[in-house]
Amino acid sequence: MGRIRRLVLDTLKPHEPSIIALADQLSELEGVSAVNISIYEMDRKVENAKITIEGEHISYPGVFELIEELGGAIHSIDEVVAGKMIIDDAVTLQD
Amino acid sequence: MSPLWGALQRIREYDNLANIGEIARRYFAMNAFDGVLTIIGVLMGNMTAGVDEPKIVVSTGLATCIAMGVSGLWGAYLTEAAERKRDLGELSRYTLTDLDDTRIGRASRAAVVTVALVDGLSPFLAALIALTPFFVVGIFSTIIWAYYASLGMALLILFGLGLFLGRISRENLILYGLKTVVAGVISILISFLLGE
Repeated sequence: MGRIRRLVLDTLKPHEPSIIALADQLSELEGVSAVNISIYEMDRKVENAKITIEGEHISYPGVFELIEELGGAIHSIDEVVAGKMIIDDAVTLQD
Repeated sequence: MSPLWGALQRIREYDNLANIGEIARRYFAMNAFDGVLTIIGVLMGNMTAGVDEPKIVVSTGLATCIAMGVSGLWGAYLTEAAERKRDLGELSRYTLTDLDDTRIGRASRAAVVTVALVDGLSPFLAALIALTPFFVVGIFSTIIWAYYASLGMALLILFGLGLFLGRISRENLILYGLKTVVAGVISILISFLLGE
């Protein structure tokens, strides 16, 4: 089975638990090495957060379950990197 | 991670999510204050009516304690549950997900139970402690000393509550203590004058 090494998620979450708690708990999941969360939009009750997770073997169901358990919703999966190493999308002439 | 540490972490997390500590603190101070003033009323009523049978004071006092406890428990449970349900529903509409079975939902339910318990137990225990001299009435030469001891105990609890509030507001503890004691003294004086 292939290994997911990077996930970029667009999520909507309540203000509490804070992104500090969310990052802390995501980073404790097995196979996760690092987590980056940034807020790009703030509403009265909720906020939109971009979550970037990197690791050796990320379990998407585990990530999904934890975000949902903490009251968040995944709007979209914006980037996935899987395999033996991390690669970024290749620059093409059209870019 | 030991189970105890895990439980403590969970309590801390629920407290952060549902703001349990602050609300419970407010209910505790408010209702313990109510409980003490009510028992002062019961004691003064019995004293000015000339009740010299400790059993009557204990039974009216205990009945009052129980009624206050049940009232606090019931009232706070229903009020808090309604408010929390509304908040959770509103948040669910924003996130477009059902939050009942999430940590937020569980923290919200834990908050309802905790606040209801604090709301029920604080007036019950505060009043019960003020009543303790009547449980050991044999050590007093006459029942009037049991009344004085009970009223003194009630004022002491009020002073303690004042210290607690002073600590929360980070202001002068003694001043806060005196402010709460004054409420008790006024209540005693008015009851005394009415009884006369």
